[in-house]
Amino acid sequence: MSKIIGIDLGTTYSEVAVMEAGGPRILENAEGMRITPSIAAVSKSGERLVGLLAKRQAVTNPKNTIFSVKRLIGRKFTDPEVQHDKTWLPYDIKQSDTGGVEVKMGDRWYKPEEISAMTLAKLKADAEAKLGDKVEEAVITVPAYFDDSQRQATKNAGEIAGLKVTRILNEPTAAALAYGLNKQKNEKIVVYDFGGGTFDVSVLEVGDDTVEVKATGGDTHLGGDDFDKRIIEYLVGEYKKLEGVDLAKDALALQRLKEAAERAKHELSVSFETEINLPYITSDASGPRHFLMKLNRAKLEELVRDLIDRSVGILDKTIREAGFAVANINEIVLVGGQTRMPAMQEAVKKYFGKEPHKDLNPDEVVALGAAVQAGILQGEVKDILLLDVTPLSFGIETLGGVFTKLIDKNTTIPTAKSQVFSTAADNQTSVEIHVLQGERPMAADNKTLARFILDGIPPAQRGLPQVEVTFDIDANGILSVSAKDKATGKSQSVRIEASTGLSKEEIERLKNEASQNAEEDRKKKELAEVRNNAENLIYVSEKALRDAGEKVPADVKDAVGRKIQNLKAVKEQSDPGVIKNAIAELSAEIQKIGASAK
Amino acid sequence: MNGWKRAKADLINYQKEEAKRFEEIVRFANAGMVKELITVLNSFELAVNILEKQGKAEKGIYMIKTQLEDVLKKSGVEKIIVEIGKPFDPSTQESVAEAESEQPAGTIIEEVEKGYLLHGRVLRPARVKLSKGKVY
Repeated sequence: MSKIIGIDLGTTYSEVAVMEAGGPRILENAEGMRITPSIAAVSKSGERLVGLLAKRQAVTNPKNTIFSVKRLIGRKFTDPEVQHDKTWLPYDIKQSDTGGVEVKMGDRWYKPEEISAMTLAKLKADAEAKLGDKVEEAVITVPAYFDDSQRQATKNAGEIAGLKVTRILNEPTAAALAYGLNKQKNEKIVVYDFGGGTFDVSVLEVGDDTVEVKATGGDTHLGGDDFDKRIIEYLVGEYKKLEGVDLAKDALALQRLKEAAERAKHELSVSFETEINLPYITSDASGPRHFLMKLNRAKLEELVRDLIDRSVGILDKTIREAGFAVANINEIVLVGGQTRMPAMQEAVKKYFGKEPHKDLNPDEVVALGAAVQAGILQGEVKDILLLDVTPLSFGIETLGGVFTKLIDKNTTIPTAKSQVFSTAADNQTSVEIHVLQGERPMAADNKTLARFILDGIPPAQRGLPQVEVTFDIDANGILSVSAKDKATGKSQSVRIEASTGLSKEEIERLKNEASQNAEEDRKKKELAEVRNNAENLIYVSEKALRDAGEKVPADVKDAVGRKIQNLKAVKEQSDPGVIKNAIAELSAEIQKIGASAK
Repeated sequence: MNGWKRAKADLINYQKEEAKRFEEIVRFANAGMVKELITVLNSFELAVNILEKQGKAEKGIYMIKTQLEDVLKKSGVEKIIVEIGKPFDPSTQESVAEAESEQPAGTIIEEVEKGYLLHGRVLRPARVKLSKGKVY
């Protein structure tokens, strides 16, 4: 059974976690980060970008970069929040046919749930890559104040992304779960969540099998970003006073200052003084200018004191609304990166007269709690068992005779892994699945376990058909391999009994060979890769020539044609350098098609 | 029974992943320090550029810069190559500004700040200025 993941779908950032070995763990995304920006964009070249990549182009593509869509999801267009957010969000927002909200990205209008689905789809794909297994179900968190329509829309976003949403969970409840606070009956818990852009307070009461939300409060436009802004304003103001230069007018200087302000804020959570040192921040008639200023914790606290006080005011009001006195509250949980600030922790502690929970990473605590909920739904089973491992890796042969591993050696069984492959030629209607075992990079050097053919793939351009290959080794070490064409659903499979199929000596021999032949293998693999690149380029170039048709002058066509022939001639040679040169020549030539077609 | 075995196997695989993750942690353990050093290197480059313009860039300055770059290289740091006139690539670059130019819209017209990879992972994207195309 595949794992249920827990997702904290945040306004600015999202995180994914999963239960593993009895505890929740954050999964890193494809970029190696534990948090993923909740941003989607259509780049100026028409490409769809999600997460960090979308963020990296936001400055120059504000109209088509959709962030903070959580502020809009499931709301009516006439909602005062939407009307307010419309004034500052840089992208276009309109009323949908049903009275909801639509946002414009590229040349199309999208529902907020479609945008959220893009973030969720990335989280799902990255989690699958990390886990090496399909992910089909998720627990997604939402703010406690979300109404039915907002919850339903979030659920729909999950479904659009291909996830069955097993549970929509309140963010404060998730935070409480992460700390294991759901076990003490009748406890009253306050969750103080100071995020990047929003502030939420929730009062919870633990019941028999439930965690009830007693009251919620907050400010949807108060967050850590406001702290950064205050610091930047202060630094810009001081610099103007001292040096007479307005850095606010220099976009690049401001960017550097913004980063430095954020860094200073973080540093002042652990030290009492920091220096902001930005040489060559700008230049004017008198030459280069530098930025050097000290900032201490007391000054920072003075700059944001009113914001912290405001949050405590909201905290007090919310607890009263719940019908509780401060003394009734048993536990306090801090959530959100800004709660690392000592002055904020101090303010909360002073208000309650007791220490809040702050051991878990406040950025991750909601996702961790979502994973705990997923674990509860999945029904974690614990027992002692002895299990086996696979002594060698398993995989299949892919283009150029390369051995692509699906299951690494020493993986404990039973286990399963799947990966999607495609065709290597246009209109290819069948693929041969060559199942291999071994450690060498080239297929020919490993042991063949089975070969089978999946046919009936509808003719299509190469690279388009999706053939999902799944390797499953059961507790008895029996390997089953299946291949499925995702378009037609047609599948073929083979069962390989006693899957190691090798004696101990053979295994040792293969392992040794692998290490001895590492260098030679690397060369072979490089050659295979270069040849694959060459074939791809030939294919793309021929297609470009056909597509461009009469728009391209004959001399350019001829030149490209000659380079294609040249590459075809050399691609079977054994020196990768020669092939690489021919690739570079053709690449250079092919760009002229683009240039002359304009 | 098979379900139990799966759960137990999951645990053991988790422990193996944990070991891999630990290796990963060791590989990227100095990422924080390297990042700070890159900030220093970027400032240094700004300084060299200014000195060059004033005709004051002395050989020793370049040697110090090379020294610093060598230290980073040994720790697995690579410079991100940015080619002017090529289309913008958000997988290793970040756009920080736009300007009118003869170049087609969306192509790189200036590298504002160098970017770096650590063991193939983006540590800091290259900051680039993009062309808006010609605005009439």
